[in-house]
Amino acid sequence: MNWLKRRVRAAFEAVESAFDSLFGREFNPLCQLGALGWFLYWIVVVSGIYLYIFFDTGVVQAYQSTEAITHGQWWAGGIMRSFHRYASDALVLVAFTHLLREFGLDRMRGKRWFAWFTGLPSIMFLYLCGITGYWMVWDRLAQYVALTTTQWLDALPIFAEPIARNFLDNASLSGRFFTLMVYVHIAVPLLMLLAMWIHIQRYNHARINPPRRLSYAILGGFVALSLLAPAVSQPPADLDQLATHVGLDWFYLAPYPLIDRLGAGTLWIVVALVLLLLALLPWLPRLRPAPVAVVNLDNCNGCARCFADCPFSAITMRARTDGSPYKEEALVDPDLCVSCGICVGSCPTATPFRRASALVSGIELPELTVERLRDEIERACQAGGPLRVIAFRCTHSAPLRVSAADRVAVFDLPCLGMLPPPFIDFIVNDQLAAGVLLAGCRQGDCYNRLGIRWTQLRIAGVRDPHLRERVPRERVAFSWAGATLPAVHATALRQFCDALAVLPALQRGSVVARRNAWQARATRMPRLLRYATQALVLLVVAGLIAGLSSAPSIRLLGAQEAVITLSFTHAAQRLQECRPLSAAERALRQPNMQRPINCPRGRWPVYVELELDGRLVYGGLRQPAGLWKDGVSSVYRRFRVPAGVRQLHVRLRDTGRHAGFDYETRRAVELRAGRNLVIEFDPQQGFEIR
Amino acid sequence: MNSIEWRPEFSTGIAEVDHEHRALIDLINATLASCADVAAGRREIQAALGEINARTNAHFALEERLMEQLQYDQRHEHKRDHERLLEVIRDIMDSVDHGADFNQALFVADLSSWFSEHFRTHDARFHLRVSFSN
Repeated sequence: MNWLKRRVRAAFEAVESAFDSLFGREFNPLCQLGALGWFLYWIVVVSGIYLYIFFDTGVVQAYQSTEAITHGQWWAGGIMRSFHRYASDALVLVAFTHLLREFGLDRMRGKRWFAWFTGLPSIMFLYLCGITGYWMVWDRLAQYVALTTTQWLDALPIFAEPIARNFLDNASLSGRFFTLMVYVHIAVPLLMLLAMWIHIQRYNHARINPPRRLSYAILGGFVALSLLAPAVSQPPADLDQLATHVGLDWFYLAPYPLIDRLGAGTLWIVVALVLLLLALLPWLPRLRPAPVAVVNLDNCNGCARCFADCPFSAITMRARTDGSPYKEEALVDPDLCVSCGICVGSCPTATPFRRASALVSGIELPELTVERLRDEIERACQAGGPLRVIAFRCTHSAPLRVSAADRVAVFDLPCLGMLPPPFIDFIVNDQLAAGVLLAGCRQGDCYNRLGIRWTQLRIAGVRDPHLRERVPRERVAFSWAGATLPAVHATALRQFCDALAVLPALQRGSVVARRNAWQARATRMPRLLRYATQALVLLVVAGLIAGLSSAPSIRLLGAQEAVITLSFTHAAQRLQECRPLSAAERALRQPNMQRPINCPRGRWPVYVELELDGRLVYGGLRQPAGLWKDGVSSVYRRFRVPAGVRQLHVRLRDTGRHAGFDYETRRAVELRAGRNLVIEFDPQQGFEIR
Repeated sequence: MNSIEWRPEFSTGIAEVDHEHRALIDLINATLASCADVAAGRREIQAALGEINARTNAHFALEERLMEQLQYDQRHEHKRDHERLLEVIRDIMDSVDHGADFNQALFVADLSSWFSEHFRTHDARFHLRVSFSN
């Protein structure tokens, strides 16, 4: 598992680094997949509401109204339809990339299981939305979706009659099914929204909007895609005359061909196993829980900075319990705290200048107290004079190797956000080192969500507790590198040391310094090349979405093949005949059980055979439905047969006899290529072949 | 010896804020007293100043939160004044760190003037607004 995670992580970090220089860190789409998912969801909802205004339900109306939307008002409805389809496809792409990325970056184990776990229902609802959406249009694809989905559902032993029987032929199709689909297609997105809302519940400051420029670029991309490759219907559905091929939307329907290949039951098992594996991943293997943050009431006045900064909503403010005049105190929920220490970095009492009393901050990580951190820093400085650089490194970031000759001390923190800014003031102004390097995770991609953002804002003097202005920012440096990119930190450290070497001696006093910390220049492509490559990347993604949304097609039927659908529901004879009750027997019964006849429950199974040109195509014993085995027996089977004139012989027995049949029909039928011949049964009229 | 005195008009009417104001003034006065008593060394003075710095920081954090909660209109101006004092304290700490003699009289004068001015203007206005909204 770890091997796989490392590979996935390395792949993501490599691609993201390339994207960084292409899009810039802020607009890197891979760093905001969650927010992109929300954005796409809203696009689908808005375009869906528009389409709903013009959509009619009904066997013929569904297709006709969709055609009118697509072609009659291509400039609005057509574009909306393309938005609806392509944004839904993009949502699948984004959701799975998001899932894979969080897996690779290992951000789903331990206390962070919740978002992973609750993301799974969101994905299931997404699929339900997509499948019902394709169903509603009632084109050839819808027909495939309807038949395959119902057959898949019929594999579950919960339906008394096969749902697939609703789609036997054009004549028996009911428009009410489409009304039902519309309801499902509206209800499920609402459930999905609920699931997405629950998904982000344990995140403070959850990011649900991508940067505006990225949103505009995506909208622009969709407009272009809608005009260049508008989403259209396939030819209308026809249950009597079948198509040989159907183009699939592979984002939603990729598992469907497997239903034919593996069988519906096997696919249920595969899906259940995959879901189970995904649901269990946060505990494979279990993450060793680190001791959670502890509040020290003697040093907490309820200022709520930790509450505001905690990325995992692990801190709440509650009424004071120690009888002091303060109103509130911070409370850590051990089930939510991931021990990142960002709260420690936000505490105003976490300053290394405190020496009169023990340095205990209002909130602390038991395994790495601020006092221990200060003592270790001082110890590192005492040995061999002032250091060139003191580096604080996030343990989720790349390693930073230094030798004694470098005169660089490295301190590992669970997150850069744990470092209280006064420590930087302390190091720089007390000249413990010439500069401070903050080496964290890839920018925009903090393992603990907000550590990088808060650190940058604190250093820039925008968020409390901020680094005091007296600290010259050219002596503070950032380096951002994912765990698999150690060269980035090494280069940044070398360049920072060079930059420090030429700085004039530290000026004392309150000088207003610039607020941006030193940072190695990001390598960016020349502008023209950058724009061209951006366009190329967008084009590839758009092409992928448009391409896979209706192709490649799959073959449903050979050119010279027809289909025979054998389907009926029939209640076979009772195992025991009904018998009139005598007056004496009735007298023994309760007043509410006075039926004059006694019918013991239970029916015979129905045995049915289908023979084509003297060759047995199907012979099946169909058990009655119901716990008492007294319901109907049903059958739904489709057979692909070569076209031509065929001699059909179909027969069944529904009594306890061992040989012979109770009903049978022989007929010569002409099976044109593509024809769907339906065989039904009714005890009054016998077999009906149409 | 110079010291800062608590005066009834300093009261903001918010129990926790008043409590911290008193504690801060006590802390400053105790620092001054101990410095004078034992002719303290630089380390003691540094330690005491560090303590004042930390407690003032925490106090301002609390006061700024209350102002934010009440959407107090002058919270930004008020906060700027807080920042000014924190710089003053850090300046004094720096000068002690780097060999300058700790000038008690100047220290008290700086702090005292800041406190009385801050109490008279910013805190009084805030107090007025709080009692108004109650």
